[in-house]
Amino acid sequence: MKMISVEHLAKTYQRGDGTPVPALRDLTFDIEAGEFVTVRGASGSGKSSLLNIIGCLDTPTSGTYRLAGEDVSRWTDEQRSHLRNQRIGFVFQSFNLLPRTTALENVELPALYTGGPVDRGRARELLGRVGLKDRADHYISELSGGEQQRVALARALMNDPPLLLADEPTGNLDSASGEAVMELLTELNREGRTVVLVTHDERTASYARRELLIRDGLLASDRPLGQATEEAGRRPALTMVVGR
Amino acid sequence: MNALTTLRIALRAILRSPLRSLLMLLGVAVGIAALIAIASVGEATRRETLEQFKRMVGTFDVVNISPGGARTRGMPSLTTVEPTLTFADAEAIRGGIPNVRRLATEQSAFDIDIQYRDRTATSSVWGVSADWMDIRGDEATVGRGISAEDNASVARVVVIGPDVRTALFPDEDPIGKTLRIAEVPFEVVGVLAPRGAGPGGSSLDNLMLMPVTTASKRLFNRDYLTGVTVQLQDPSKFDAARDAITILLRERHGIIPPVEDNFTISNPRAAVESVEAVGSTLSSILTGVGAIATLIGGVVIMTLMLMAVAERRREIGVRRALGATQRDVLRQFLAESAVIACLGGILGVVAGVAIAAVVAAQRNLPPVLLWQVMLGAVGVSALIGIVFGLQPAWRAARVDPIEALRA
Repeated sequence: MKMISVEHLAKTYQRGDGTPVPALRDLTFDIEAGEFVTVRGASGSGKSSLLNIIGCLDTPTSGTYRLAGEDVSRWTDEQRSHLRNQRIGFVFQSFNLLPRTTALENVELPALYTGGPVDRGRARELLGRVGLKDRADHYISELSGGEQQRVALARALMNDPPLLLADEPTGNLDSASGEAVMELLTELNREGRTVVLVTHDERTASYARRELLIRDGLLASDRPLGQATEEAGRRPALTMVVGR
Repeated sequence: MNALTTLRIALRAILRSPLRSLLMLLGVAVGIAALIAIASVGEATRRETLEQFKRMVGTFDVVNISPGGARTRGMPSLTTVEPTLTFADAEAIRGGIPNVRRLATEQSAFDIDIQYRDRTATSSVWGVSADWMDIRGDEATVGRGISAEDNASVARVVVIGPDVRTALFPDEDPIGKTLRIAEVPFEVVGVLAPRGAGPGGSSLDNLMLMPVTTASKRLFNRDYLTGVTVQLQDPSKFDAARDAITILLRERHGIIPPVEDNFTISNPRAAVESVEAVGSTLSSILTGVGAIATLIGGVVIMTLMLMAVAERRREIGVRRALGATQRDVLRQFLAESAVIACLGGILGVVAGVAIAAVVAAQRNLPPVLLWQVMLGAVGVSALIGIVFGLQPAWRAARVDPIEALRA
């Protein structure tokens, strides 16, 4: 099944004076369910615009975007909000956790917008899964960067979405914490979740198995990534770090 | 997102910025406290004034006829009165006007010197007919009142008010004692029950009652009256009674248009209404002041909420990314301002009631708890939170998550 399918996707912004600025010109590619894909591109390449559309935060100017078979390119803001809530888990470079709030409350956030009851037990379970069982009731400010990003990861999983979007998830982390986070993402991918990763960092990108290169709003290359052997050897150790 | 969740999110946000929340809360509380205090003190004053007035006139459901035209002001007394209302007029009203249940006549004079042995006092003297005390609602706590027999026999008896008793008989039983008014001896047969304070807080208990016949023939030697009080069978038919009495008295007094009446017919209720009208003008001005204060509270809420929205753009972006709809964000911010305003309202009510209690205690007013006003004030507060929170909440809902998250 195709998780993501974009066809002739284009996005044009209007500058202040009315001049159109094309960010995405004509993009066509598919991402199958269960893939682990990294999107690369220089700043200004249109990479962020693409991520915003895939994340249903934005709509394309033309072309279609199908998410799990449904054409969501013309959906309303409200429909896309529900879609983000149910189908997509976001992981950001700057974590984007709510300050002065506990880890547990942050993980619960997506559940608040489902319309149903909040399953606090599940939130605790997810914190346990990312190795923060004992930190659940700590405030965000009391956690290290690596721990914060793992809280963000648990939050992304709260509504059990099939698609995870990670935008430079290791950008603000030291290498050990970054690897732990990537290890978790890899594991989530192995469970069947589709992961789309945006990164500049080659080591981070190397966890993915396919790379899309965006240049000037066009797809410049689409290639599989080989599994570097030395990294494959290090992964089991890291799995233990996160408590699995 | 259900209401309870909205409320929970709002409460968390409120607790996350305690200082800002406190400022907003106080902004509303001050105005509401002012409103509640003004309304409570105003109502207490109104009730007390009404009560004082009622104590003075005794009962509202009567027709008062006093001598002199509409120009004559103040309470008629033999020293100031025009001699235009007579015993014969009273009897004509009693016999000629339908709907009259009882009628009382009076001859009053103020600042009369009284003597008992070596003690002296000054009080008002009221010559009254037998039904006067009953109509007014006065009672004798000791002894008896003025009876029909007293009037028939022109008896030299008096019923004294509590103030007179205190002045002349501080430590003896006044019943059966003889006091002198203008050298005429009177026997004390009763003591009136205290009436309390009248308008302006003055005592209504410095008086003496005697038969109106006695006052007329033995004391003042005048046969005109200072007042006739008519109790109607049906008090609601005051206007008809007034018109009938007017026609009767004009005829008896030989008044032809355009000459005006030489008597005045009034109803205590009308007087009360005019007193209340003055009070309500004052209290509506003060209420306006309170309303402006409350409005300022609304402006405080709006300003601080706008600041909150600007500060929390990233939070809004995160919530939107995680699935909050624009409506969810709008409701969250509205709930925040409404909850804070509501809490401010409750605090304001408590403070207002406390202020009113202190003022009431200082001014000897009855304590007043206006439940409806208090509930209304909390409701108004919530409304202010919603109305003044609408613009900030709308701004929050329209935050572009892409921009908010990019920063």
